[in-house]
Amino acid sequence: MNAQVPVTSRTEAAICHMHIDALTSMQPEITGVLISTIDGFEIASKLLSDLSAAKLAAMTSSLLALSGAMCTETGSGACRDLVIDADTGRVLLMELSCRKQDLVLAVLCTDKVTLGQVLWAVRDCREALSRRLNVL
Amino acid sequence: MQPREYKLLFTGSMGVGKTTAIAAVSEIAPCSTDVANNDREGHAKATTTAALDYGEVFLENGDRLRLYGTPGQTRFDFMWKILGQGALGVIILVDNSRPDPLADLRDYARAFGDLLAASRAVVGIGRTESHSTPGIDDYHAAMDELGYAAPILSVDVRRRNDVLMLLDILFHQIEAAETTQAVNMELS
Repeated sequence: MNAQVPVTSRTEAAICHMHIDALTSMQPEITGVLISTIDGFEIASKLLSDLSAAKLAAMTSSLLALSGAMCTETGSGACRDLVIDADTGRVLLMELSCRKQDLVLAVLCTDKVTLGQVLWAVRDCREALSRRLNVL
Repeated sequence: MQPREYKLLFTGSMGVGKTTAIAAVSEIAPCSTDVANNDREGHAKATTTAALDYGEVFLENGDRLRLYGTPGQTRFDFMWKILGQGALGVIILVDNSRPDPLADLRDYARAFGDLLAASRAVVGIGRTESHSTPGIDDYHAAMDELGYAAPILSVDVRRRNDVLMLLDILFHQIEAAETTQAVNMELS
């Protein structure tokens, strides 16, 4: 019923890890980052140990797919980012366009974070990562 | 009587035809959440459902069937639980060309055991023309082993009439279950 498939090279995964490390060191209020395929397979992550990257990757895929369907239904164009505002934290989900395959990025933050600041940082990370992966 | 709404689920393994089945009968433009499929070993198709499919069928008496398709893969099983909330019945689709279709049936029957136990389920077996085994009796035996009973029939979900037949049978299952429930309540 399920599968674990290698969807990226080790080089691509290493580049993703490097960008995750850079993002989390720059933004201490970011508590976790996950990069996965658009259909829910983990590529690279830095998460607290009690979180399952596999499960979060699948949930990210579902939420972004559903957001995309909502945008289509309402004529809002392509879905860019999804921000989940919760009692004790925020979750940012966004697509990461790459030439080889589209990826998705999930960023977990504390509720102390300034949304605009972290959005800016995560979008920067997304653009840099996209550029880097596209030249491979 | 107020028109009723029936939330019905289509479930089954990846590539079995849940999206196709809903698209075949929906009277509104179906909502799909297909994304690129990287698991080509699981199925060779280019896209896969990541969240849900949705369609609607309107009955002559004004009742509305709201059809939800689940993602097939177990990594999306959280969606099965979410979509299962409030569902009145389930159609389990099985692909007879897969390596172990009886195991597929068991997996989804267990996952939606509440609806099967309440006799609110029907099973559609696809690709039986090219793959004749296992047969319908084998599927009934597998269901018996799990302690469930449900109508099981061969279907081609690309055909609107086949999907409507599944819905019709499920609808009668639900009505029978509700009648039994009402009688039991009166007796108790």
